Amino acid sequence: MLQEFEALFEQVEFLLIAGIVLVLAYLALEHKEIVYAAFFFGFMASFVAGFFLLLEAPFIAGMQIAVYTGGISALIIFAVLLLPRAQDSSLEEFATGRKRRVSLMISGLVVALSATLALVFPWAESFDEEIVVDLAQDLGALAQWLWVDNGIYVQMIALIMITALIGAIALLKMDKAEQMISLRGESGIGAEVESGESDPEPEPGAESEPEETSVVEESEEADG
Amino acid sequence: MRLFLDFIPVIVWALLAVVLVIVMLLASWVLRPHVLQNSEKTSTYECGEEPIGPARISYPYNYFIYAVLFVVVDVMGAFMWLLSSSTLLWDDGVTKYTLVWEVILFIAIIMGAIMFVLKSLPDAVLDGKETLEQYRKAKAEREKEQSISGRH
Amino acid sequence: MVPLSWYLVFAFMLIGLGAYGMMVKRNLIRILIGAEIMGNGVNIALVAFSLYSPVFTFTGQGLIILVISVAAAHTALALVLMLMYNRRYDTVDLGTPIEEEVV
Repeated sequence: MLQEFEALFEQVEFLLIAGIVLVLAYLALEHKEIVYAAFFFGFMASFVAGFFLLLEAPFIAGMQIAVYTGGISALIIFAVLLLPRAQDSSLEEFATGRKRRVSLMISGLVVALSATLALVFPWAESFDEEIVVDLAQDLGALAQWLWVDNGIYVQMIALIMITALIGAIALLKMDKAEQMISLRGESGIGAEVESGESDPEPEPGAESEPEETSVVEESEEADG
Repeated sequence: MRLFLDFIPVIVWALLAVVLVIVMLLASWVLRPHVLQNSEKTSTYECGEEPIGPARISYPYNYFIYAVLFVVVDVMGAFMWLLSSSTLLWDDGVTKYTLVWEVILFIAIIMGAIMFVLKSLPDAVLDGKETLEQYRKAKAEREKEQSISGRH
Repeated sequence: MVPLSWYLVFAFMLIGLGAYGMMVKRNLIRILIGAEIMGNGVNIALVAFSLYSPVFTFTGQGLIILVISVAAAHTALALVLMLMYNRRYDTVDLGTPIEEEVV
């Protein structure tokens, strides 16, 4: 009797969380305002962590909330706030009907093919038995798997992280170089130093004043 | 089922948080004076002058790199959390000696990258003076456009 | 218990939703959100397989830790690229540059 109640309870739980995740994913893609969509994505990531709890992986659930909701979702909201054009929802033109039908067919094909691969083939017979997992020392065994048996992958993750960091800085540097070219002209620093006069007192208001400030700055940069 | 029974306090906390937010919003809605809003009341405040055009000129992209730094440190923290919530470093045996070296290498790689980013951050973002240049240039261009369109 | 096919069907629905969102939407941020939804679906499928396999190892869970961290790194880089795109074309809409070429 208790076994039946437990099984039914788990199925009700699964359907509830699955429904909420699907509704939130649809809202994250389709809502008109981008800030709302980014926030719904963060919300959906937290409910997927609840899903991981159903699947008896408590550490993965914690990592999902820490990295996805606290990191990636915050990054997306940050980028949306930095891009004013993205928030103007009137700029977003909607796809034509033909494009919608084609993409619906393609994604339906992807889902059907993977469903066939997973459910129809002979290995589907062993899918319905469940193994009871001992949760007592789980994190110890998981740490053993990750750090001791496969410790090389952790160092690879460190390398991937520094790739992301150094890539971001390099892109921003390139971008700043382009901006400097657009601000100071194509010839760069040399032309400004020859043609401008060095006036150390900053005067507000005049339009030629930016060139004088840049000459002062260039001489400071040459000294220091 | 056991895991669900362990996490019932979390569900209670989540419900409490939602109820608290709704109660605060409701309380402020009840206590507000309800007067009609017109377009002059809801426009942005700009020290008494009329606001012209959008409010953003130079995009502050330098703040984005701190968010990327946070994500990298977050991932590193997740790995450290896994290691420290197990008993691997206090067991008897040989694994803890190799583990310490692995952890040191991991932290050293990521810290090296973070120090590199922090050192080359002034090169990658606009200074105060350069931002001022850009702002003045954009303002001059906009005034030129306005004077041109004003003549026609 | 909840049979594995339910988990897989749900994971495939998330993958299909993410794929559809990536193909139809024109805003770059929405395409990135679609990619992340697909990533979440794949993670759920991985953990489900790890739980229901005949011999329980931690391969699925360990793999997911690595996959989540790689997804974090590539999302950060994708967003920086979007910022560069916005600086160059002054929009985040994908349709505009192609129209410029046609004209």
